[in-house]
Amino acid sequence: MAKPLSEETFGSAALGFQVAGDADRVVAARTAEVESAVLKSWEDHLAPQFPRDLAVVATAALGRRELFPCSDVDLLLLVNREPESEAARNALSAFLASLWDRGMRVSHSVRTPADCCQLHPHNLELIVSLFDARFLAGDAGLFEPFRLRLASFVASHRAWLAQGLCRMARQRHARFHDTIYHLEPDIKESPGGFRDLHLVRWLTQLETADKTRIPAPERPPSLEPARHLLWTLRCYLHFRASRDYNRLDFEAQQGLSEQPFSRGRDPAAWMREYFRHARVVFRAAVEALEEVESRSSPLLSSFQAWRSRLSNADFSVRRERIYFRAPAAQMQDPERMLGLFEFAARHGFRPSWEAERQIRERLNALRDWALRGRALWPWFRTVCSLPHAPVALRAMHETGVLGTLFPEWQQIESLVIWDWYHRYTVDEHTLVSIEALAALRQPREGLLRHFSQLVEEAGDPAPLICALLFHDTGKASRGAPHPLESARLARQALRRIAAPEEICERVGWLIEQHLSLSEVMCTRDPDDPSTAACVAQRVGTLEALRQLTLLTYADITAVNPEAMTAWRLQQLWRLYLVTYKELTRELEADRIGPSSEQFPEMASFLEGLPVRYLRTHSPAAVEQHFRLYQQALRQGVALSLERREDLYCLTVITRDRPFLLASLAGALSGFGMNVLKAEAFSNQQAMVLDTFVFEDPNRTLELNPSEKERFHRVVARAALGQLRPGDLPAHRSGQPHRRGRAISPSVTFDSETSPSATLLEVVAEDRPGLLYDLATVISSHGCNIELVLLDTQARKALDVFYITKDGRKLEPDLEAALREQLLDVCRG
Amino acid sequence: MKKIEAIIQPFKLDDVKEALKNIGIDGMTVSEVRGHGRQKGHKEVYRGQEYQVDLLPKIKIEMVVPSARADEVIRTVIQSARTGKIGDGKIFVYDVVDAIRIRNEDRGEAAL
Repeated sequence: MAKPLSEETFGSAALGFQVAGDADRVVAARTAEVESAVLKSWEDHLAPQFPRDLAVVATAALGRRELFPCSDVDLLLLVNREPESEAARNALSAFLASLWDRGMRVSHSVRTPADCCQLHPHNLELIVSLFDARFLAGDAGLFEPFRLRLASFVASHRAWLAQGLCRMARQRHARFHDTIYHLEPDIKESPGGFRDLHLVRWLTQLETADKTRIPAPERPPSLEPARHLLWTLRCYLHFRASRDYNRLDFEAQQGLSEQPFSRGRDPAAWMREYFRHARVVFRAAVEALEEVESRSSPLLSSFQAWRSRLSNADFSVRRERIYFRAPAAQMQDPERMLGLFEFAARHGFRPSWEAERQIRERLNALRDWALRGRALWPWFRTVCSLPHAPVALRAMHETGVLGTLFPEWQQIESLVIWDWYHRYTVDEHTLVSIEALAALRQPREGLLRHFSQLVEEAGDPAPLICALLFHDTGKASRGAPHPLESARLARQALRRIAAPEEICERVGWLIEQHLSLSEVMCTRDPDDPSTAACVAQRVGTLEALRQLTLLTYADITAVNPEAMTAWRLQQLWRLYLVTYKELTRELEADRIGPSSEQFPEMASFLEGLPVRYLRTHSPAAVEQHFRLYQQALRQGVALSLERREDLYCLTVITRDRPFLLASLAGALSGFGMNVLKAEAFSNQQAMVLDTFVFEDPNRTLELNPSEKERFHRVVARAALGQLRPGDLPAHRSGQPHRRGRAISPSVTFDSETSPSATLLEVVAEDRPGLLYDLATVISSHGCNIELVLLDTQARKALDVFYITKDGRKLEPDLEAALREQLLDVCRG
Repeated sequence: MKKIEAIIQPFKLDDVKEALKNIGIDGMTVSEVRGHGRQKGHKEVYRGQEYQVDLLPKIKIEMVVPSARADEVIRTVIQSARTGKIGDGKIFVYDVVDAIRIRNEDRGEAAL
């Protein structure tokens, strides 16, 4: 009996490969060796029994002459009719057994030409494997008509076959979550692997097949480097495992770097190279898939044509992809080029393949342009704030624009960090986390509904998306803990594009803290009051708590598709809830004492303000408030107005009195201002510090400088209770901006959270004048507003009032009366 | 041999693992589970709306130990998992008929 093929040659072939890493040579040698073995077995066992009426045909990998060390050997035994005699069957068995004995894993089928050309979904893989059918031995007169019949069949059913191939490819991609960036990729099945390389080839063959032949296509030069790498990796994996094993797992990655042909390249460098090439293959495969799919579905084509009407002067949309209208001019102007990503973020389309190529060709110019220090923040903020920001960011990543604008991001491109939990490379994990956050914008069920609400309430998503984008950039360096290093890189990147300092700091803080809620979830008892106090101390405000909770949610969700279990979701929500309650409680209950260690000279101002005041205001802001306080003691009232980008911030300090908040809110409303945030705290001396953040939709203050002075005067009079008829401009009533889902109002009272006041929480659709109306109702019932915290996000006003009547909490009947009137006010 | 199954508070996992490691118990299976005993969940209020939380997050630790060490392991789990509050969890103990190490077919305590 012949010595098994694998034992005979495997060892020496493996040794040769280790040194030279020449996969082409290995594959050619293996193919020749197997062919020769098949011919020998045919001569020994089949030729005597089948002088004609049987042909041995190489298919699939053997047909293509692409046999790897442990690949299956696919053979078609072509017959005119099923062999029936016992002698014929014995001969076939002996033929196959001899190949198995020689160490080959033979995958064979005995078929007639008619069997091979049947239109049946289960036949698809067989038909595709026959595209590369090659006569090896036997009755050549049987093979030639079969070849013609197959070509004619394929040409006649081109569309059906192409659609079947596309369906199979999409299903395979979906199994891998449509991404190439797996930490331990299967180089055969994963997107960007062998199957995709073959898919491109098969679709080309289908395209070019005619009634007489299915031509073997040339290897596309653009895919040759990728093919070469994939061949090298597959040979290595087969030799290493001595079987058809194609998963580039962590151990294999380490082993790869130790191969002589690796020449000192470390595992990370190998994986970067793998992903770089897999990206090229995946892109080619998807391009080919889209081409077929758009041709084969009239419904899809007409939907895509309908969506094309979103084209504008700069960009046209065809088949859901964006094209530059005037590429030559637009490529010369980086700002116009970057406009494509804003368009993508707005409408959710990806750049066309052509546009991607055009952008990639201009990356060097973009780098030179960006490095000169460009104020890109307004553009980047817009991209991050638009509904399809994840699509735009992914497109920026795929085209290399993200890494060009942010060299900090380059460090995590295709970066593999070995651990038991993560499924993806660091860059892919980051993009998936941003997608997880965006997915919360859709209505969700169960506990996820609360997280969707948090997204609505978190307001401008840009800081949160920036935090996610950079949260793991520090993983590439081996110095400081990665949250600190990532925060440093984020601040550096955002300052370079001229983001406001408060955004840089907020993003930096979120990144520094991005693991803290996870740690608390695992190590602290959520029912222990000290847990909530500790987290509340760390986050400081409800706004920061919301953002950190969402960041934690997105980060865990992106670890792997199973990571965010209902168990973890519930843990995270519980932690949010206890901290939310603590932040709400401490606002009223924890007050600054008679002496402040931090600001002893300001003790009289600070005494009685919430402890949180010092946590949430910078020393400079506290200084400024103190100066206003001193001025207010002399003059009765002091105020300052400053502009922050599109918004204004008004600070008023005056002595407390009934209807104070209603008067100030009324003054703002009278000028047509829309209050988005407000705080009102009083100190021990009954001096009230009111802060309003508002927008000026009519641009009154910007377009009429004289109105600024009048605005100051009117607000001061309102603070002192001295408003006169005619002080306010004609009332500009505002209607809620009705778009999207209606927000049903809710009014709730809580007498347990605070020891001395009733907490009133109002959730309503925002409209100009809402705060004025709410405060007027409360004051008209003789209630005193001790403290206010008001926030408006995405049309939803979240107002918290701490109120008392005659120094005590409210009685139930008063609560009922207030609730009814407040709900009326909320409904407008 | 005894199989010890402990349902504990999630935040006590590190403490319990550390305590078991200190007495030489390294092998265990840990699962994230949800359930309730007499604690029966609780009501949560958010934005004025009440939500009934029926199943609470817990951690389940399973280990098989020689019978002679079972009491020591149980004591260790109790000491390290106890907070004294409702919801600390439970420990269940089962007799184990046999254990087999798949790799080499060791049996009984030798397989642990």
